[in-house]
Amino acid sequence: MLERRKECIAMLLAGGQGSRLKVLTSDVAKPAVSFGGKYRIIDFPLSNCVNSGIDTVGILTQYKPLELNSYVGNGQPWGLNRNFGGVSILPPYAQADKSEWYKGTANAIYQNIHFIDMYNPEYVLILSGDHIYKMDYSKMLAFHKERNADCTIAVYDVPWEETSRFGIVNANPDGMIYEFEEKPKNAKSNHASMGIYIFNWKVLRKYLTEDEADPNSSNDFGKNILPNMLHDEQRLFAYVFDGYWKDVGTLDSLWEANMDIINPKVPLELKDPDFRIYARNYAKAPSYIDPKASVKNSMVSEGCVIRGTVENSIISAGCVVEEGAVVKNTVIMPESRVEKDAKIIYAIIGENTVVHENAEVGKEPAECPAVWGLSVVGSHRVIEEGQVIGPKEVV
Amino acid sequence: MKMIGIIFSDIYNSEMGELTKQRTLASVPFGGRYRLVDFVLSNMANSGFESIGIITRYNYQSLMDNLGSCEEWDLNRKNGRVFILPPFGTGQTSVSHGNLQALAGAQMFLERAKGEYVLISNANIVCNIDYQRALDDHIKSGAELTIICDRENPIYEDERRSLVIEEKDGEIKDVTIQDTYDDTKLCGMGMYIMKKSYLQKLIKYAQVHGLYHFERDFVLHGFRTGELSINLYEFKKSTLRSSDLLSYYNNNLRLLEESVRQDIFIPNRPIYTKVRDEVPTYYAQNAVSSNSLIADGCTINGTVEDSVLFRDIQVEEGAEVHKSVVMQGASIGKGSKIEYCIIDKDVTITEGRTLIGAPTAPIVIQKGQKI
Repeated sequence: MLERRKECIAMLLAGGQGSRLKVLTSDVAKPAVSFGGKYRIIDFPLSNCVNSGIDTVGILTQYKPLELNSYVGNGQPWGLNRNFGGVSILPPYAQADKSEWYKGTANAIYQNIHFIDMYNPEYVLILSGDHIYKMDYSKMLAFHKERNADCTIAVYDVPWEETSRFGIVNANPDGMIYEFEEKPKNAKSNHASMGIYIFNWKVLRKYLTEDEADPNSSNDFGKNILPNMLHDEQRLFAYVFDGYWKDVGTLDSLWEANMDIINPKVPLELKDPDFRIYARNYAKAPSYIDPKASVKNSMVSEGCVIRGTVENSIISAGCVVEEGAVVKNTVIMPESRVEKDAKIIYAIIGENTVVHENAEVGKEPAECPAVWGLSVVGSHRVIEEGQVIGPKEVV
Repeated sequence: MKMIGIIFSDIYNSEMGELTKQRTLASVPFGGRYRLVDFVLSNMANSGFESIGIITRYNYQSLMDNLGSCEEWDLNRKNGRVFILPPFGTGQTSVSHGNLQALAGAQMFLERAKGEYVLISNANIVCNIDYQRALDDHIKSGAELTIICDRENPIYEDERRSLVIEEKDGEIKDVTIQDTYDDTKLCGMGMYIMKKSYLQKLIKYAQVHGLYHFERDFVLHGFRTGELSINLYEFKKSTLRSSDLLSYYNNNLRLLEESVRQDIFIPNRPIYTKVRDEVPTYYAQNAVSSNSLIADGCTINGTVEDSVLFRDIQVEEGAEVHKSVVMQGASIGKGSKIEYCIIDKDVTITEGRTLIGAPTAPIVIQKGQKI
């Protein structure tokens, strides 16, 4: 009988808590955080997979998985509801001899070796669930095959002055990697690892098994698996990605990435019919813009009612901005309400949050340059009438 | 109690002019992101219907494209499905001429569908109605037929409705068809509830007695002869009934009224439609938008006032859109001005054009045209 198999499957690491996103991840895992008006962060890697011809994705979850699980569902919004393959949610599970949480990124994959073996793939693509980018992984896979590599790491050229914040990959001009440096002071290269890897499954399987047997290992791709492979002189290559890419692991970067959508100078084009970003859809009515509203340089998703002033902002699905309210340079996540004469400036407002009348959240940078920072209100919060949330405050 | 749904997809085709040239009435776009059939289908899905048949006569390709597997309505289940019922053609009748005759094509569907009661409906009415409550009322009344109806005042002189009922203290005084009306009378909404077995008998009877028209040959006749017991279920929320181009245009703009939107877009009874994965709408620095309903995927650089914009529409700089209905994929070029227009799908209005209709006669630009 002909064996059914997949050439390449993706494993999406979505188990992290995302503690640097603070109040926004107190109820949900980072990949389930709302982005860009109608998306969630996980829509980007999932849509990338589908647009790259990868139809089998394992999502490794651990922290607060409920929202993520119900969001992904059977994968239908991304076309990942397949008979053989499709999307599978993979939480840690009890085994005959022991049961444990995912100890590290490599251990998470190790614990799901059976899942991967079921598809008997030639290649495994490892992704993380906290980046905003559009990438055709099939090009990276072609690169991997051309170089006859054991592992290919996607890298992104960061500005030289920021190299000390990243894991840097040093490679020969042909792309062959000879060194990793974690947050180097004097970097030799500005290739930052994007946390996206393609492995030959046979090779990775061996290294995962060996790594698991090592009691001193922290079971991490960056700290253990990749250095071990390099040490053994396996063929590791760097694949330079030159599109838009942003790690949205912090509140500031999450806000910036949202603002990038409405910045015509930034190449984050969501409106490409040949490379759509798919999302679960909640059957909302079109948005209503009132005669008293003013909406400038902003994105408004469906199901909103806008009666106030909105500038340089992202208003997500199902939000209401009442008369006299002002929303500037702000991201408002789904189903939130800004009541009459409330003022929100340079802020992130979580989902299902109500900002009551005359409340104030955030300030213009010019008003308080010394202590300025984004103001952030979490999900399911209520900001009382007239309450003031200052800059840099996170509630 | 389980109900079976039957939808007539194309009863008013001929009055909708250019809009139904390439599609059935049921698949005429409505309200920014929907098609007319989405409303009746969502009402049925939200009322727990499991088997729904859609009777079509012509041009049903776009209807099938819109419905797909009906997963958006959660009607792609083992025990919940939508069946397209094309013309019943075994030689003697191919394309049917009346809604009663068209039901012949639904006989096999009815036989197999599980449920004791049937609701039949036209696709031209936009409302958000709980059919279970209408069914409860039907069962309680013990009548053979329940007519779902509403009260309205005509917008134009001499406006007519296909079924008008004069009633006093619950007693039906008169039933007329194609008659004028006002809010002292009830207007049939083209939605009827009866027992499945009753409808099956009626279809067979109609076939051999040459009856075509449900309202004329069955309801009106049944009332006059006293053979039919009728129950009236009055629906009191907003009802947008599109029977011709002008009412279609006005009904779209009525969605700009908050009370109408609140009656139709009810959060726990959503109106489903085909998902198109558009991005949120972008309003540029110079955009002016006021009193408008705007769907996803649009780019607004110009002015939009008192209008309904569907998905994926470009309004370029200096362009003005007033009191118009603009369908999916259209683009309004720089400096162009449109007012009182219905712009069908994928229309391009090039730079500097001016198209101004009248409130009683909106200009219709056909699908795919370039002006």
